Amino acid sequence: MPSYEIEQLDAALNALLAGQTLQALRNDPELLPMIEIASQLQLTPRLEFRAGLRDQLLAQASMPAADRVFDAKLAPSIHAQLKSRSVRDSVLPPLFSTGVSMLPVRGSHLAVSFALHVAALAIVLSSGWWMVENRTVVRKQIATRFSGTIDYLLPSAPGELHGGGGGGTQDKMPPPRGSAPRFSDQQLTPPAVIVKNEASKLSAEPAVIGPPEVKLPQLGQIGDPTAAILTPPSNGTGSGSGIGTGEGTGVGAGNGPGVAEGRGGGIGGGIYHVGGGVSAPRTIYDPDPEYSEDARKAKYQGSVTLSLVVDSEGHPRNVHVVRSLGMGLDEKAIEAVSKWRFEPGLKNGRPVAVQIGVEVVFRLY
Amino acid sequence: MKATEHDTDERFLIQAAQRDATCFAALYEANFDRVYGFVARRVPSREEAEDLTAEVFHQALASLGGFEWQGTPFAAWLIGIASHLIARRWQRATGHIEVPADELETIGVSDHAERQAVLAQLVDRLPDDQRLVIRRRFVDQRSIREIAQELGRSEGAIKQLQFRAIETLRNQIRSGHA
Repeated sequence: MPSYEIEQLDAALNALLAGQTLQALRNDPELLPMIEIASQLQLTPRLEFRAGLRDQLLAQASMPAADRVFDAKLAPSIHAQLKSRSVRDSVLPPLFSTGVSMLPVRGSHLAVSFALHVAALAIVLSSGWWMVENRTVVRKQIATRFSGTIDYLLPSAPGELHGGGGGGTQDKMPPPRGSAPRFSDQQLTPPAVIVKNEASKLSAEPAVIGPPEVKLPQLGQIGDPTAAILTPPSNGTGSGSGIGTGEGTGVGAGNGPGVAEGRGGGIGGGIYHVGGGVSAPRTIYDPDPEYSEDARKAKYQGSVTLSLVVDSEGHPRNVHVVRSLGMGLDEKAIEAVSKWRFEPGLKNGRPVAVQIGVEVVFRLY
Repeated sequence: MKATEHDTDERFLIQAAQRDATCFAALYEANFDRVYGFVARRVPSREEAEDLTAEVFHQALASLGGFEWQGTPFAAWLIGIASHLIARRWQRATGHIEVPADELETIGVSDHAERQAVLAQLVDRLPDDQRLVIRRRFVDQRSIREIAQELGRSEGAIKQLQFRAIETLRNQIRSGHA
């Protein structure tokens, strides 16, 4: 559109709004219809007047019919009402009005809504204040989770401390579950589930190498106490004439004349310590402990040292306090650590139960 | 057919308002632009037009119970009230009883009033920015500069919106798309 037309129209409209009559503006026949429209637009009502009058009428309509008589002299001027309304509207638009617009608007509804919002805000603010006032940020600090660095608690193993043994006669089936034979200083006859030479001229009681004062539980049938299942009689798939899946004249999956994993006699397997080929468990879920109410009120701080065994499934077992802190924090530490989950420690690539120590630090900030 | 339907609707609205005065709001919305347009052309100031329009509707609501449907549009009854009020005000101001003949249109609805009502509807249909400029310019009597400052746009842009809006209104009135 040509800009001069826009400017021309604006100039004519300025003259019109300044009070000139249409007659004085009839010079341009092109713009005349638009100026006439502009002249009519001057008579367009104000939106707030229209809405204000509507509210007045609704207020009048809600009165009993007898009181509805209108007296212009007594009625307040609509301008006075709109003026007060505009002041109110700038603060709380429909709170003071009762009327009908697109939806029914009632001051009472707005008041209830306002009160609910204030209440909600108060709850949010007060809870925030409470949190700040009672901030007991529990910072657990695992100074060292593993026994390797808590020397006084659980010394690390310089090498494999476990004994153990294994055997087998290269049978096809693993050995059945059963009792290991008694410990002895000397082994004359290795244990066997299936005795190959029953007509031996010089027979001796089967035994495994280990401290004789240690009495192994005797369940009746000789077998591998670490075997999980009952199988048909078999000396196991290992070698060396004992029972099991390892090597040697002992029982189990180890190597030597002892029992269970490990080598060199005695009992192997069981709980390991970190080191000597045993990797440390790693936490994969470690929720923070809570602060006990007494300790929080007393602003008591310190650390609790726990000992526990992480089994081959990664669950903490046998959690107990090694160094106590008191005021209910020991229990809170046990409660939290009992919920922890670990990636188990490994020995030769297999998960094993490992004993570790955990220090839980309680501190208020 | 359309006129008959409109009459029937209006008659129902009147009956409803006579039973429940809060239903008068629908009659008010349907006739406000006509009454205001009629009054505004006959009084010198916007304030006077608003006071008289308010008085017309207040009196109409107060005497609605006595209204009898005789086939003439409800707007004609309102315009009749408006004419009497204008005449009375004229009489008070000049001391004369007689008033110009065209001030007493009581039978039909004034053409001007009808055109004013149509124009108000067309303004409502304008795009938001054009409608705002028209209201600020002609209702609130603001200058182009003031509107530009309020809307954060250039004066040229406001003049263009003003031009487009009036051009659109002119075209719609010409084509009869009211």
